[in-house]
Amino acid sequence: MDIEKFIVEFADQYDEIETDGFGPDTKFKENEEWSSMTALSVIAMVDDSYSVRLTGDDVRKSSTIQEVYDIVASRINS
Amino acid sequence: MQFPLHKYGLVFRLVEESDAAFILSLRTDEGRAKHLSATDNNLQKQIDWIRNYKEREKAGIDYYVLFEDDKQQPLGVFRLYDIKDKSFTSGSWLIKPGCNEFVGLKSDLFIGFLAHEMLHLDDCFFDVRKNNKKVLRYHKRFAKLIGEDELNVYFVMDRAAYEQKSKFLTSIIQSDI
Repeated sequence: MDIEKFIVEFADQYDEIETDGFGPDTKFKENEEWSSMTALSVIAMVDDSYSVRLTGDDVRKSSTIQEVYDIVASRINS
Repeated sequence: MQFPLHKYGLVFRLVEESDAAFILSLRTDEGRAKHLSATDNNLQKQIDWIRNYKEREKAGIDYYVLFEDDKQQPLGVFRLYDIKDKSFTSGSWLIKPGCNEFVGLKSDLFIGFLAHEMLHLDDCFFDVRKNNKKVLRYHKRFAKLIGEDELNVYFVMDRAAYEQKSKFLTSIIQSDI
């Protein structure tokens, strides 16, 4: 699993804000586009690309893209 | 049908005239309602609209549902309408700014529950504005695309697709239910 690819895939779930500066430490909820639909888009992307089902708790507990990446990576490897 | 219904940690009830100001605040929020048809910022018109709607509710062809938290704070609304034979449309889905990110998912789950499990309907025909990209991606995952024009993409979601979607959404909020 590649963090750079994951960040690009993560950023693709945002349609309305500038995501060029997204990186591992980006706090992905701290922007005006974050909503239930963005959360679902991220969960669906992870499901499609990595066959990992994130839960509401996973999203609630995470604040940076790196934290989501770590959850996904740990489940792929488990 | 017995409302209010408590499900997924939310309370779902039918809209009343006294909800007009809340609904108007959602429908006139430029950010929230930009993908819906325009609404006049006129409270009396909204009250009159709800009064007319209550007749359609009595006829069993339209259900306008408001969902609130356990402190009776309204969070959002949606409608099931054009109910005929076993088909229906869903729309007018709006959520108050600042709600937690899974309120939308829970209300969408409830739309399916109400339509398929309580009203025993089958096919949901609906449209999504083409510029509503995230919602389009979401629906393409489960519903079948049946057409498009300059403004909208048209979908149908049958019972099997609903069950698949319901399973997916439920797995996400399992710890909340």
